[in-house]
Amino acid sequence: MTQTIRYRLDGDEDGAAERGLAALVLTVVELLRQLMERQAIRRVADGTVTDEQAEKLGYTLMRLDERMNELMEHFGLGPEDLNLDLGPLGTLLPEE
Amino acid sequence: MTERGFWVYAVAGQYAGEDLSGLDGVGDGRVRVIGAAGLAVLASDVDLAEFGAEALRRNLEDLDWLERVAWAHHHVIDAAARLLPLLPMRLATVYASEGTAAAAFTERAAELRDALAQVRGRAEWGVKAYARPAREVSARDKPAPAGAESGAAESGTGGTGTGGTGPGGAGAGSGAGTAYLKRRRDQLSAQRDTQRDAVASARAVHSALAGHAAWSRLHPPQSAQLSGDRAPMLLNASYLLDAGDGTAFTSVLEAAASTHPDLRLELTGPWPPYSFAGGDAQ
Amino acid sequence: MTYPVTPSQTVPARERLPDDFPAQRVALVDLLDRVLAQGVVITGDITLSIADVDLVTVSLRAILASVSALAGQAAGQAPVRAEVTS
Repeated sequence: MTQTIRYRLDGDEDGAAERGLAALVLTVVELLRQLMERQAIRRVADGTVTDEQAEKLGYTLMRLDERMNELMEHFGLGPEDLNLDLGPLGTLLPEE
Repeated sequence: MTERGFWVYAVAGQYAGEDLSGLDGVGDGRVRVIGAAGLAVLASDVDLAEFGAEALRRNLEDLDWLERVAWAHHHVIDAAARLLPLLPMRLATVYASEGTAAAAFTERAAELRDALAQVRGRAEWGVKAYARPAREVSARDKPAPAGAESGAAESGTGGTGTGGTGPGGAGAGSGAGTAYLKRRRDQLSAQRDTQRDAVASARAVHSALAGHAAWSRLHPPQSAQLSGDRAPMLLNASYLLDAGDGTAFTSVLEAAASTHPDLRLELTGPWPPYSFAGGDAQ
Repeated sequence: MTYPVTPSQTVPARERLPDDFPAQRVALVDLLDRVLAQGVVITGDITLSIADVDLVTVSLRAILASVSALAGQAAGQAPVRAEVTS
């Protein structure tokens, strides 16, 4: 039997809908950020990028990570609010 | 008069008139016992409008309905199991009539008697193992970028500059980006190792527990949405234990927990022998 | 000897209960493991709802498929140009 995840965008507190939507959006953003990060790590490990490119990659990803932290703090979201685990579907990002 | 079906809860061996009166079934009927080749089938009449094949397809998708009915089913089995050894049936074992049920159980009588012999005087216990999140460092939980100073020190390639500007700085500090990637790579690598070790731990725990049980059975991991537990579930198993083995089994479990601090273990039970009724063909 | 259990114990105990799930539903997963032949599968859909009204259903499978495709494309390509957009 199957069940659908119901994601409520309203709640008792103020701004619950905004937070709910932010959590959903930031989950996707974080997913992409982690994907990019893993890809960058792989490329550096493979030696298929120059040192300068590696530095730029790393610095940008680091800045993106900081930005994510700021956004999450702004919306009052913690890591557990980003639902990256889909149970039987596994984690959104493949294990290496 | 709507169509009625025959919902079966369990099958037991010789029924010596144990008092099963007062047990309410899943629908509106009372639980009763019918005989089939010397076996005792515990069942109740149900309305096919709610419990027939078509209705079940619909209702089983409804978690509230499922919850209500699963508990009602379990309460009958649980109460009866205290009185006589039995084989629990899976949810929604419905026959068109008492007659068809009796025929079906008569046909399987020998196999059922064997299974009953296996569960007599035994109970099922469940063990679940979760990976402990304590050591897990997700991308979100890592310490804030320490700034270029430590970054440059880490990257350790001779030469390029003193650690440049920190994260708020105008330009890319030399080494900071590279150091960041290295840090993340090490974290991911450590995470993978931890996960691999935890899986090995779970296997070892199962091995130890199975060695103390008459029988064991593995279940798929539970969905995090249903269990409400985000930690990865690495073991979800049932163990069939002799009566009175509970204490010894708990000791083995506690020893396993000490040996494998990377796992969080949970014990549930005792259960009627749901997982050892041999009923997947039902 | 039958079903060795003390009479007071009807619902199997659980060591800990998550906050956001009612107690019954927590033990329910353990029961469902046992009474359902195949267990429960959560579909890859998320339904967004407000005031108990289901509004939009997002298919996660579609998103996952896209992400996988992206990962496949990215592997082995020319160096990535990453730019800060803030």
